[in-house]
Amino acid sequence: MFAQLFISGLSNGSIYALAALGMTVLFRATTVVNFGFGEMFMAGAFVVYVLLKIVGLSYIVAALGACVVLFGLGAVIELGLMRRMENAPHLSLAMMTIAISFLLKGIARVFWGREVLPMPPIFNMPPLEFGDVIVTAQDLVIGGATLALVIVFLLVFRFSWLGKIAQAASQTPRGAALVGLNVPKFRCTIWAVSAAMGAFGGILVAPVTLLYPDMGGQTLTRAFAAMTLGGFGNLGGAVVGGLAMGVIEQMVGGYVDTSLIDVAGYIVIIAVLLLRPTGLFGRKELVRV
Amino acid sequence: MNRGVWAALAAILCSITQISPLRAETGVTDDTIRIGVFAPLSGSALLFGKGLIGVDAYYRSVNESGGINGRKIELVREDDGCDPAKGIAAIKKLIGDDNVFMIHGGMCSNVVMAGLPEITRAGIPYMDIAAAASQISNPIRPNVFQPLPNTGVVGRTMIDFAMTKPNARKIAIVSHSDEWGKSNHDPAVARLKEKYNLEPVADLALERGSTDATPQILKLRNAGADVIVLLLYPAEAAIFVRDAMKYGVKTPMLCSQGTSLAEIEERVGTPDAVANVYTFSALAGALDGPEMAPWRDMVAKYFPQQRPEEAVFNGIGGAIAVVDALKLAGRDLTREGFIAALNKTTALKTGVLSVPITFTPTEHAGVSSGGMMTLVGGKTVLVASWPVGK
Repeated sequence: MFAQLFISGLSNGSIYALAALGMTVLFRATTVVNFGFGEMFMAGAFVVYVLLKIVGLSYIVAALGACVVLFGLGAVIELGLMRRMENAPHLSLAMMTIAISFLLKGIARVFWGREVLPMPPIFNMPPLEFGDVIVTAQDLVIGGATLALVIVFLLVFRFSWLGKIAQAASQTPRGAALVGLNVPKFRCTIWAVSAAMGAFGGILVAPVTLLYPDMGGQTLTRAFAAMTLGGFGNLGGAVVGGLAMGVIEQMVGGYVDTSLIDVAGYIVIIAVLLLRPTGLFGRKELVRV
Repeated sequence: MNRGVWAALAAILCSITQISPLRAETGVTDDTIRIGVFAPLSGSALLFGKGLIGVDAYYRSVNESGGINGRKIELVREDDGCDPAKGIAAIKKLIGDDNVFMIHGGMCSNVVMAGLPEITRAGIPYMDIAAAASQISNPIRPNVFQPLPNTGVVGRTMIDFAMTKPNARKIAIVSHSDEWGKSNHDPAVARLKEKYNLEPVADLALERGSTDATPQILKLRNAGADVIVLLLYPAEAAIFVRDAMKYGVKTPMLCSQGTSLAEIEERVGTPDAVANVYTFSALAGALDGPEMAPWRDMVAKYFPQQRPEEAVFNGIGGAIAVVDALKLAGRDLTREGFIAALNKTTALKTGVLSVPITFTPTEHAGVSSGGMMTLVGGKTVLVASWPVGK
């Protein structure tokens, strides 16, 4: 039972990690916490559903199409909404993302408010058995995708000039602009990339969660908790936080009480933050004056 | 004083005391009866608003057939969003602003429970659509009627059905820990104990919005249950059945009211998913069966985009009881007369429900049992006890 719970925890945790990663990428580059990210998950999944079931495209084309659509949506959000508020307090920026969340949810409810739809999996295969442990192909895909994305973004942010731009643009936008960086264009690109990541996550996750307008809410809550646990702004921390949340939930459910599954992760977060306020991998921000 | 003065005084006296022979009942005109309906019409609970579709369709068909005693039904719709505060506001608006004759509404038990004080205070006749909390009709309120199996009935019926499985002794229960889950869970556990002298072999929680049931499934596998009773909402029931398949659990599973085999099969994605699943139903037969054909046709006529789903048809029985009582109350329609007529509803065979509806002055829970839908020989059938050979 331990092995199965652990594997299942990693699988669920990969969903949280994927969402936390997308939110962290945006946070790292713009210092904005996007509370609408869960709805970008949802929007991406619904776009795939429409392209797949109604337009009749193949899965891969529909998935790519959804990423492109959400890429565009992210850019529009930044250009049309967030850029106009770039000097506003962080709380106002956060409130705007919450409003975007409700807007996307409301639009989805107009069309699918009465439905909980099945989303076909990427690979329709029977579960794989490794001794007593059972893993589905979808679990492997989600886990593999999360791992691949975290490696890519870690490398980008640490070693590439794009990563340096991201740090500069988020820490000192004026300074970055003074040295010739097109900060608005960069931010727009990051919003678009983050939204596309949301779509990618939604496409992977919807076969597990089922597809309905409120599917992003639970994921967002846990992703935010994962970011907090791992350390805000830390890419690896977001993933570790997500995986840890998933495993803790499963272990508590399996060995303590199933009614504690929803709260277990948050109890651990409280404990971690009391001991280490910056999270597991977070660092204190140093400001030179 | 002259006659004119006496007439004026009489008119003034009548208007003060409202003893006018021409007084019309609230919400009733020469050619209409205004019925207020409330249900989730927006928000995250829009999913649960489907029951209004069947009710609406039935009233439209009655109007098309000439109405009731020369009057047509006029529906006034309010959105409760499955939120108690919104529901109270909707009910107050129906009573105070829209001046409806009666209210036929409520899909969410929390909303109906919150609105009952207002409904009771106003004395307006109220027919529930599909809110299943047993507290709606118990304790009895003179003007409140519940025309479908409530959660107490559902929980007890599911346990009784589980115990018809040959040699069944180990019954496991999985439920939500919210108010709805509790209202199903507690009567089920009490039934198991009082009638069969058994405790659940496992009593587990699966919360609303859960996307994984691995811990619950593994615990149940270890417990060796003969039957698993799932007191879960439809989406969570589908996720549980999916994960049970994933881990090779073949124990029969009983699902609560509002869940359908077709929906579970569609959401899980494989036809084998429902081979060992039974769903509680108050309906007269399988959705695709001959018993439900006239109701499918009726809904399709007025709502052609709506897929036939169990939730759509659950409220029609109450609408039939309303129309029956309106006819009985006659042309000189009053709220008191209508309530008295409802209390005379005796073994009303609706054709849409498997069990007749009966209301008396001391019992307003109109339906006291139901059946279980399952696949037998590849076809969905309604059964009252465990099918032989399954």
